Amino acid sequence: MAEMNQEVMTKSQLEYLRNQRTKEMRHQLVSFGLMIFLTFMAFILAASDVPAQFTIPIVLGFAFIQVILQFFYFMHMKDNGHDFAKLLIMTGMYFAIAFVVCMIYIVWIGAPIE
Amino acid sequence: MAQTSTQKKGVGSVIWEYLTTVDHKKIGILYLIAGGFFFALGGIEAMLIRLQLAVPNNDFLSAGLYNEMITMHGTTMIFLAAMPLLFAFMNAVVPLQIGARDLAFPFLNSMGVWLFILGGIFLNLSWFMGGAPDAGWTSYASLSIDSPGHGVNFYALGLQITGAGTLMTGINFATTIITMRAPGMTYMRMPLFTWTTLVAAILIVFAFPPLTIGVFLLIFDRMFGSNFFIVEAGGNTIIWEHLFWIFGHPEVYILILPAFGIFSEIFSVFARKRLFGYSAMVFATLLIGFFGFMVWAHHMFTVGLGPTANAIFAVATMAIAVPTGIKIFNWIATIWGGSIEFTTPMLYAVAFIPSFVMGGVTGIMQAAAPADYQYHDSYFIVAHFHYVIVGGVVFGLLAGLHYYWPIMFNTMLNEVLGKITFVLFVFGFHLTFLIQHFLGLWGMPRRVFTFLDGQGYNAANMISTVGAFFMAAGVIILLINIVMTLVKNERVGTDPWGDGRTLEWSLPLPVPYYNFAQVPLVRGLDAYWIEKNEGDGKMMPAESIEDFHMPNNSIIPLIMSLGLFIASFGALYFADGKDWAIDAVSALDAKPWALPVLVIGLGITFVSMGVRSWKDDLGYYVTKEEIKKDLEELERGAK
Repeated sequence: MAEMNQEVMTKSQLEYLRNQRTKEMRHQLVSFGLMIFLTFMAFILAASDVPAQFTIPIVLGFAFIQVILQFFYFMHMKDNGHDFAKLLIMTGMYFAIAFVVCMIYIVWIGAPIE
Repeated sequence: MAQTSTQKKGVGSVIWEYLTTVDHKKIGILYLIAGGFFFALGGIEAMLIRLQLAVPNNDFLSAGLYNEMITMHGTTMIFLAAMPLLFAFMNAVVPLQIGARDLAFPFLNSMGVWLFILGGIFLNLSWFMGGAPDAGWTSYASLSIDSPGHGVNFYALGLQITGAGTLMTGINFATTIITMRAPGMTYMRMPLFTWTTLVAAILIVFAFPPLTIGVFLLIFDRMFGSNFFIVEAGGNTIIWEHLFWIFGHPEVYILILPAFGIFSEIFSVFARKRLFGYSAMVFATLLIGFFGFMVWAHHMFTVGLGPTANAIFAVATMAIAVPTGIKIFNWIATIWGGSIEFTTPMLYAVAFIPSFVMGGVTGIMQAAAPADYQYHDSYFIVAHFHYVIVGGVVFGLLAGLHYYWPIMFNTMLNEVLGKITFVLFVFGFHLTFLIQHFLGLWGMPRRVFTFLDGQGYNAANMISTVGAFFMAAGVIILLINIVMTLVKNERVGTDPWGDGRTLEWSLPLPVPYYNFAQVPLVRGLDAYWIEKNEGDGKMMPAESIEDFHMPNNSIIPLIMSLGLFIASFGALYFADGKDWAIDAVSALDAKPWALPVLVIGLGITFVSMGVRSWKDDLGYYVTKEEIKKDLEELERGAK
């Protein structure tokens, strides 16, 4: 019954939709490939003899790029109409980072600032 | 559904209707009934506490039973009474206020209410099954890991179930308010109750996950052999305190913000004025919500965080007084010069301002970390949080009950009895808790089951107990009022208060099951008031009469929640007698049936999730003809 009110699409509408979906799929595949590549690079870096001071910031940087790709391409943040969701995710991330930093600082490091 | 809802029905089908309903109005009533029941339970526990403390060296309750009593009083009042009662009003009012036909996820809404009800029942079954939780409503890990028997298991599992329901409801309301407003209702035209509900819903979405994590870690520690909080095995009990208060502080704003919203509506309706400083009110609401997350460690000043951390959290806490002050002054300015009508809701609203300000001022006193070392764990704290929670939230709930009663039940509560309740309750409240500030300053510690004679606490404790009886008398008269009103059943028509400003008052009573025959066009803040003064007193429709889609009722939410309820019993007894278990339960008899019960319960939940996922339920359409018929009937009734 849910289909009761659906109208038939015109040919150009259908074509436009197809076009959009192909484009979307290409985006998904490209970002997926990129993420696999970044993960692969991170593994190689960790496995090779590169010093840790060099590896850690680069792997963290890769992780950051992956998070962005996840949010924008896989979770549709790049699309229109996601403003509120975007705002909430940003706020949530701010809170989460604040909690984690605060807890690590207070619980494990103690109070180093005198 | 559509056809039967207007016909007379038997008791059985009414019960079945409520068990399966996905209609926000009926779910609101379910929340009200269940929340009211738990409110009464928590109230009885409070009376027993006050009776125990009425005289020195009392042995009315034993020390252990007293601990169970205070734990269950706090837990019940916060999780099972205050929040569900607020959800009752949110469910009943918010969709009507924004011009929606239901919430965004009606099925999820039904899940929320059943998870809450079953979680609440589970928690209270502890009274009959070997003792209630006794580690305080905060259940600090060092106490709760040590607590013998199953009490704290009931706490952890019960809260996990109700917490899941609350989280779902929070997501549901945020989505509904963001996506389902009527045409013309921009963010800055939303009524204040909708705004505060939106902010509270967002706070729930951010604040409940830390509680879920904390309670899961507690469940793992107590029932499945992990060591997150067990210091001997390398755990850290302070983590629980942080996780609990990261949730716990926003929680008090989740409670108070919707109450602020209810008061804002009441002030402007019964002063017959537009809410003063609407945009400042919205801004203040958002700011309170944001600051609420940045201050949790002020509950832990005496833990030993160090002077820097204490100073930061002290200053952040004091900052919250600024937006709250903005709100208080705006309410006063709203009443100022208005044509005031002192109905029962308005009386509660007026009494709320000084009561809440008193609670706020003691809050700022405690925010000063060095001074807090003196107040900590004394009756001063007890007085403070009862002033904000009773003087703010409970007054808001009682005001909301009288104010929104016509929308929920199509009758009016008796005003005379309402005012008697008001006088008894407000007088009793101040008598009970004002003196507790002084008891605290004189050195009486909280959470101690008795006190000695000759310490100067006798008279003050007696006064406090007498006050509690006044409050109980007020609640009993309220119950009489409710029963009388339901029995008389004198129906009222549209806009029963006569000065309704927002969309919910423009609807015919009883509200049709689809809420709006045509979605209304909103032309400004206080949409209905605008149409009364500038239009013909009716909302302009934003669409022609058309078929529209409604969801089917479903029993699956109840079965899904029941599965978790059953699984909880399995988890509860799982660690009994196991050699890896904590000392609290390792000496008990092993229960070999615990694991099967756990598996069966989870199985029921997963199977019903599968049924929900793979069996299409496309809902039904309300037809044009039916709506036209309803509208004609309404027209005839009006003439």
